[in-house]
Amino acid sequence: MLQCIFLLSDSGYYSVSYYQFVTFFRIIEPMVLDLWFRHREVMLEKQLTGHRVDRSICGWFWDQSISQGDSFKQLPVIASPTHYLFQVFREGITFLACTQVEMPPLMAIEFLCRVADVLNDYLGGLNEDLIKDNFIIVYELLDEMIDNGFPLTTELNILQEMIAPPNIVSKVLSVVTGTSSNVSDTLPGATSSCVPWRTADTKYAQNEVYVDLVEEMDATINRDGALMKCEVYGEVQVNSHITGLPDLTLSFTNPSILDQVRFHPCVRFRPWESHQILSFVPPDGQFKLMSYRVRKLKSTPIYVKPQLTSDGGTCRLNVMVGSRNDHGKTIDSVTVQFQLPSCILSADLTSNHGTVSILADKTCTWNIGRIPKDKAPSMSGTMVLETGLERLHVFPTFRVGFKMMGVALSGLQIDKLDLKTVPYRFYKGFRAVTRAGEFEVRS
Amino acid sequence: MFPQFGATAESLSKASTAVFRIGTDAHLYDDPDDVNIAPLLESKFDSEKTEALKRLLALIAQGFDVSNFFPQVVKNVASQSLEVKKLVYLYLLHYAEKRPNEALLSINCFQKDLGDTNPLVRAWALRAMAGIRLHVIAPLVLVAVGKCARDPSVYVRKCAANALPKLHDLRMEEHTSAIEEIVGMLLNDNSPGVVGAAASAFASVCPNNFSLIGRNYKKLCEILPDVEEWGQIILIGILLRYVIASYGLVKESIMFSLYGKDDNLEVDEQDFILKEDTGYTSEKTLSELANMILQCYIEGPDEYLSRSSSANMVPPKLDVSQFTSCSNDIVKILLKCTSPLLWSNNSAVVLAAAGVHWIMASKGDLKRIVKPLLFLMRSSYASRYVVLCNIQVFVKAMPSLFAPHYEDFFVCSSDSYQIKALKLEILSSVAVESSVSFILKEFQDYIRDPDRKFAADTVAAIGLCAQKLPKMATTCVEGLLTLIRQEYFCGEIRSMDGEDGVLIQAIISIKSIIKLDPPSYEKVIIQLVRSLDAIKIPSARAMIIWLVGEYCSLGEIIPRMVSTVLKYLARCFTSEALETKLQILNTTAKVLICNTGEDISTLQKVWSYVIELAECDMNYDVRDRSRFLKKLFSCNVDSQNHVEEQNSESQKRDQSYVFAECIFGRQTTAVTVPTEPINDRFYLPGSLSQLVFHAAPGYEPLPKPCSLPYIDFDQNDGTANSDSDEDGDPSTSGSVDEGSASDYSSEQSVTASSEADGSDEIDSGNEGNNNVDPLIQISDTGNVSEEQNGGVHSRFGDLMSTKSLESWLDEPAKSSKENETNQSRARRSSARITIGNIRSRIKPKYYTLLDPANGNGLKVNYSFSTETSSVSSHLVSLEVFFENCSSEAMSDIVLIDESSNRSSDPSTNQTPSTTENTMKIHTENPAMVSMEDIPSLEPGQTENRTLLVRFHHHLLPLKLALFCNDTKFPVKLKPDIGYFVKPLPISIEAFRDKESHLPGMFEYIRSCTFTDHLVELNKGSNSLTEDKFLVICEALALKMMSNANLSLVSVDMPVASNLDDASGLCLRFSSEILSNSMPCLITVTVEGKCSDPLTVSVKVNCEETVFGLNFLNRVVNFLAEPSVTRS
Repeated sequence: MLQCIFLLSDSGYYSVSYYQFVTFFRIIEPMVLDLWFRHREVMLEKQLTGHRVDRSICGWFWDQSISQGDSFKQLPVIASPTHYLFQVFREGITFLACTQVEMPPLMAIEFLCRVADVLNDYLGGLNEDLIKDNFIIVYELLDEMIDNGFPLTTELNILQEMIAPPNIVSKVLSVVTGTSSNVSDTLPGATSSCVPWRTADTKYAQNEVYVDLVEEMDATINRDGALMKCEVYGEVQVNSHITGLPDLTLSFTNPSILDQVRFHPCVRFRPWESHQILSFVPPDGQFKLMSYRVRKLKSTPIYVKPQLTSDGGTCRLNVMVGSRNDHGKTIDSVTVQFQLPSCILSADLTSNHGTVSILADKTCTWNIGRIPKDKAPSMSGTMVLETGLERLHVFPTFRVGFKMMGVALSGLQIDKLDLKTVPYRFYKGFRAVTRAGEFEVRS
Repeated sequence: MFPQFGATAESLSKASTAVFRIGTDAHLYDDPDDVNIAPLLESKFDSEKTEALKRLLALIAQGFDVSNFFPQVVKNVASQSLEVKKLVYLYLLHYAEKRPNEALLSINCFQKDLGDTNPLVRAWALRAMAGIRLHVIAPLVLVAVGKCARDPSVYVRKCAANALPKLHDLRMEEHTSAIEEIVGMLLNDNSPGVVGAAASAFASVCPNNFSLIGRNYKKLCEILPDVEEWGQIILIGILLRYVIASYGLVKESIMFSLYGKDDNLEVDEQDFILKEDTGYTSEKTLSELANMILQCYIEGPDEYLSRSSSANMVPPKLDVSQFTSCSNDIVKILLKCTSPLLWSNNSAVVLAAAGVHWIMASKGDLKRIVKPLLFLMRSSYASRYVVLCNIQVFVKAMPSLFAPHYEDFFVCSSDSYQIKALKLEILSSVAVESSVSFILKEFQDYIRDPDRKFAADTVAAIGLCAQKLPKMATTCVEGLLTLIRQEYFCGEIRSMDGEDGVLIQAIISIKSIIKLDPPSYEKVIIQLVRSLDAIKIPSARAMIIWLVGEYCSLGEIIPRMVSTVLKYLARCFTSEALETKLQILNTTAKVLICNTGEDISTLQKVWSYVIELAECDMNYDVRDRSRFLKKLFSCNVDSQNHVEEQNSESQKRDQSYVFAECIFGRQTTAVTVPTEPINDRFYLPGSLSQLVFHAAPGYEPLPKPCSLPYIDFDQNDGTANSDSDEDGDPSTSGSVDEGSASDYSSEQSVTASSEADGSDEIDSGNEGNNNVDPLIQISDTGNVSEEQNGGVHSRFGDLMSTKSLESWLDEPAKSSKENETNQSRARRSSARITIGNIRSRIKPKYYTLLDPANGNGLKVNYSFSTETSSVSSHLVSLEVFFENCSSEAMSDIVLIDESSNRSSDPSTNQTPSTTENTMKIHTENPAMVSMEDIPSLEPGQTENRTLLVRFHHHLLPLKLALFCNDTKFPVKLKPDIGYFVKPLPISIEAFRDKESHLPGMFEYIRSCTFTDHLVELNKGSNSLTEDKFLVICEALALKMMSNANLSLVSVDMPVASNLDDASGLCLRFSSEILSNSMPCLITVTVEGKCSDPLTVSVKVNCEETVFGLNFLNRVVNFLAEPSVTRS
C-alpha cells in the first residue's frame, strides 16, 4: 500500500517573464530554461505508514526528470532504486506517491487523481499558492482520505461534512474572532448509511435537479482530409438539491447509440442491464452520474483544411476553417494550435480573423473565437526552413478547439427524469454542451 | 537577465495574490517560526494551541525536524477541541516512532477516548493509537481493535479493519491468530464499507488464509457491487485467488488452452484458438507466447524462466481434475458479480474485473472486457498508460480479441512517447488482412510526424506488419523505398536527431522483409544499391553493402552489376567509416566466392586493391580483418587463376577455400536466426510488477489450482496452539540447549595474553571449540596482504605500535579459520578486527514442533542447523529432537510431509535420485525428504534426527504430520528465512565487489534498535578491563549468526572517535541463497552510544528482491527483539 504522498510544486516557467521575454521564438535549450525559470519544491509530505519515506526521493525524482526530459514526466509509474513512484501531474503540481510493495498501480493513480479532484473542489482551483495557503486543510483531508496507505473516505460529500471547505465567510470570521475550526465535531451521517454518498437529512426550500450533457468530440482527420476517427466522449453531470432521500430514474430516447458506459457508484446495475434505465439515489450537489462513449460518428461540425507547400527553403502555410452548419448553433471559442517542426527557423503568419501567436517552444496558436458568418477565417504565411533544407518533410498536426452550446453532438437525448419515494414537486433542467476533445487534423 | 526579471515578476504576482490570502493559513506556511511556538502550546486557549500546531505542521511540511516539541504536543492530546486533537494526531503520528517513550504518555488518553460517545473520537483515537507502532503497546491496541471491530458505528469498524495491517506490520507472531480472527469477523460484517476495508486487511495480513473466505464466499460475492470502490479492487483479487485455490481453473477459459496441447481430448479446443488467430503470426510462436504468459500467471516468471532455461525439466502439468467448468456455480457467481464492475467509474476496479474475466471467463465471454478496457483509455492521462500496458499483454496472448478495435489504438499527437510506442506495438500485433490497409495508411501519416524517434518506430512497425502478413509485404516495401528516397533527398543536412534513425530503421525493415522471400525482391535490392551513393549514414550504407554480398548471386541482374558496385566501393573505401569498411571487406569476399562468371579478373583486382588499402588502414580492426581474409583466400585466389582446370576437375578444392566458403558462403540465409527465446516477463494483469517488469516485493502469482484442501477447519485449532508457543517458551528452550549455552557467560573473561600464547592456541581453537579461546583477532588496516595464513602473528608486532589501536590491544591475537582479512582500507579512522571462533558460541534457537501436552507426552523440538545438506543444495536441514516425556514407551515415530502423497512409500525416498524426482513433482510446494523413523522411544529417552526440507522460499508454515503409536498429530514447521542461505566465505574485496554490483533496487535498508549488548555490559563488573566495542561486536555477531546461517566477513571498528561512541561500527556478513546460489550480503552499521540502546541499520544487498526484503525484515526482527536472559 502507499507509504507516502508528496505534493511537489513544479510550476514550470514563470509565465510573466516567459511571455514577455520571448516575443518571437528563438532557440533556447530546454535545459537552460530549466535552470533559469524552473522552481521546484516539496510543498507537503504526508507519511502514511510506519515505513517512512525520506524526502530525498524527490531529489532523485527531479534529477531524473531533468536528465530524461519530458517523457519521464509523463511516465505515471516509475521504479526508483528504493521505491516505486506514482505520479500525477495537475496544474503545475506533481502528486507523488511512494510504495515498496506490490499494489494495483491504477489504484494509486486513481487515488491521486481523486486527491487532486477533491483539492480542486475544496480550494476552488489548484496551484502552488492555494495549496500552501490551505496546507492545514490539505493535511486534514489527506489524513481523512487515506489511512495506513489504504483509501478511507474519498466521497467528496462526506469529506465536506467532516472538514469544512475554506470560504470567504470563514476566512473573515477567523480574522475577526481569531478562531477557526474546519474540523467538524460529528461524524457525517452518510458514513453509516447504506448510501454512503449521501447525507440523509438534507433540506431544501426549492427542490431542483439539473442534468447536463457535457460532450467532447475526438476526431482524427488524415492528410487526405478523410475522417479516420470520430467519436464522442460524454458525461452526464447532475446537480441535485432535493430534500430527503430521493430515488431518481433517468432514461434516454436512444440509449442504443451508447457504445460503452461507466457509472457513479450510486447507479444500480440491474435496471440498466434490463431496460437501460438509470436508477439512482443521487449524492447531494454536483456529481458525475455517468460517462459514455459514442463511436463512429459521420461528420464534424467544423472543418479545418491546412495546406503546406514547400520549395527552395521556404514553406507556405495556409489554413482554412469553416463550419458545417447543420445544427444551427454557433460555434464558439475556436482555436487552432500546432507545433512548428524544429527545422523551421522563423515564421511569419497572419490571419484575416482572430489572432496568431507563436511561443518560444514553437507552439503556434490561432485564436479565432466565433466563426463569422460572412467570411471563412484563414491563416496564411511563409516559414523559413533551416539552411540546406529544401523541402519540409515533417508536418505538424493541427489541434482544433471549439465549443458548442446547447447541442450534444453524439445525438444522445434525455427522455425523462422521474422522482420516486419523495412526494415533492421539483424543478428539472436540462442542458447540453459539446467541446472539442482530441480533435486533430494532420497535414 | 532573466532570473532577475523572473524574480520581480514573481514578487509582483505574490503581492497581488496576497490580498486574497487574508484569513488563510498562508502566513503560517510562509513564516512558521516567526513566533515562539513553545508558549503557544502551553496556552490555555484552543485557538493559540491550534496556531502553534499549525506552525509545527508547516515546519513538517517544509521538511524541518520539529520532534523536540514532542512532549509539549503530546500533552495536548487530552484537549476537548476536535481540531486540536486532529492536529495533535497528525503531529504525533509523524514522530511517534522517533520518540517512543514520550509517545507512551498519550496512551492513557487514547484509551479514554476509545470510550467516548462520539464515534469520530473513537475512530481517531484508534487510528492514532494503532499508528504509533510501538511493540510495547501492541497488545493494548489489539484489545482496542477487537473492541472497535464490534463498535456500532460503521466508520469505527472500518478504522478497526484498517488498523489490523498496522498491527500485523509490527510482526508479533504470537498475535497472528488473534488478528486473523478479527479479519474474519470483519469480513463477515453486514456493512459493505467495512467489508472493503476488511478485504484490504485480509490481503496484507493473511492473504492465504482462504478458510476465512470460504466461509463467506457467496456473501462476499453478493456484497461486492456495494463495497466501496477501493475495497472492490482488493476483494476481486482475493475472490479470484480463492476460487483458483479451491476449485481450479476454468476449462472453457483461455487458461485451459495451455494444457490442451498434450491432451488428445482437447485437440479441437486448441484448433479453435489457432483457427481464430491464424494470420497473426506463425502458429507456433503465438501459442508459445500465450502459453508462456498464462504459465507465468501461475508460476511467476522467474520460476518459469529458470525452469524453461534448463530444457530437460518438464513443466508441472495440471491435470483435468484441476479444472472446473464455467457452469460451476462458484465460478458463475464470481463472473456475474464482477461483470457490472466493468462499468465502474474507477478505472482500477474495471481493470481488476477485467483481470478476473481474462483468467476465469470462457473464451466466448471474453470479449465483454474489450470495450470497457478501451473506454478506460479515455480516463486520466496517467491511467491510460497503465491500461495500455495491460492491453498489450492481452493482445500478445490473444490478438483476435482486440483486432476489430484497431482504430482505438490510433495515435494522437498529445500522447506521450511511451503511449505512442505502446500503441504502435499493439497495432502491429492486431493487424489482420481486413484492417492492415487502414493501419498502414495511418502509419504513413505517422512517418511525417515531427517526432523522428516515433517515426522510426513506425517504420519498424511497418516491417513487423509486412512480416506477419506477407500479402502486404510488397506494398510495405514500396512505401519504405519511397521513404528512403525521400529521406536521403532531404537528408542532405543532418541537423536533427533521429533523422538518421528513420532511414536506418527503414533499411532494417526492408532487410527483414527481403529475407522472407529474396527472389521476389531482387529489384528492391537493386534500387537500394542504386541509392548507395546518396545515403551517407555509415550504418545504413553498411547494411546495403551487406545486402549486396548476401544476395550477390540472386536473380539475373544483380550478378551482372556486382562488379561495378564493388569497383565503386573500392574507390570510396578510404573515406568510409569503420563499420562500412568491414562490411566492404566481407562483401568483397562473399562475391569472390560466389562468383563463377566471366569478370573474375576484375573482381580479383578489386579484391587485392581493397585488401591492400585495408592493410594500411588506421584502424586495427580493419587491418586484422584484411589479414585474416587475405590468408584465407590466398590459395583460393591462386586456384581461381586456373579456373578452367578447376572447373573441369570440379572436386579438388583447397581446404582453406572450403573454410572460406563455410564462413562466407550462402549459409546465412539458410540458417535463419532461431526464434530467440522470449524473455519478457509477464505478471498478473493489473499488477505493479507487470509495469516495472520485475516481481515487486509482495507479488504473488496465482495460487496453485486446487491447492487448497477442503477440510481445514479442525486442523486450524490444533496448529494455532503450536503457533502460539513456538516462539521460544523459555522453559522449553532452556532445557534443550544445555549443550551450547553453558559457556556463554565466560566469554567475557578473556584477558590479555601474549602473542606467544596465541600460536599455541590455534589448534585448540580450531579443533576443540574451547571457549577459553581468544575471541578476537585484530588484523591491521594498512598492511599489504603479504601473508595469507600463518603470518598474522608476525604482523602483530607492527600493530602494537600503532597508537590508535592500543586501547584494545590487550586482547590476544589469534588466528582462526574464520576469516582472514588483510588488505588495505581507504578509511583510516577504523580498524578491521576479526572476532575469532564465534561460530563455536552460536546457540541455535529451538522451536517447538509438538508440545507434550498436545502430543500425549511426546515432545518434539527443532532447530535449524547450519550444515548444508549434501543431497541437494535446495534443502534446508533441521535438527529435530524427540523426547518422550510420558511414562510409556512410544513406537514408530515418523514425521512426514502432509501435502505429499501418503501412499508413496516414504522409505524409498532416501536415495538421492528419487529425491530429485520428488523434487520435480513438488517443485512448488515445500517438500521434505522424509526422515528415518524412530522405532521406539523409551520414557525419558531422547532421540534426534536430521530432517531435510525444501521450503522453496515459502515463508508459510509447512504442514507436517507426525505419526506416533499410529496416532497422527498435525504439526506446523515454521520456516526461518535465516536458514535459507548458507555461509559464503569470501574476502572483503570480493564482498565489496559483489556489493557494488548490487546497487539500487537490490539494496534495502532498515534500521532498528539493538539492546543485547546492554545485558553484557551491565553484567560485566570488570567493565574497565574489557572493551565496550568488543562486547557490542560480539553481541551483534553472535545474534546475527545464531539466527541466520551467515559467515562473518569483516568487522570494522571506529578508532579515532570518542570511546563511548559506537557510531561507525560496521559488521559485514555474507551468504548465498540455497536455491539459486545468489549472493546475499548483509552490512550492519551501528550508531549511538555504547551504553545506550544502539540504532542498528541493516543493509541487505541481494539480487532476489523479494527474498532480500524478507530476509532484511527477519534480520531486523531478531535484532530488535531483546535477548532471552541467559543464565
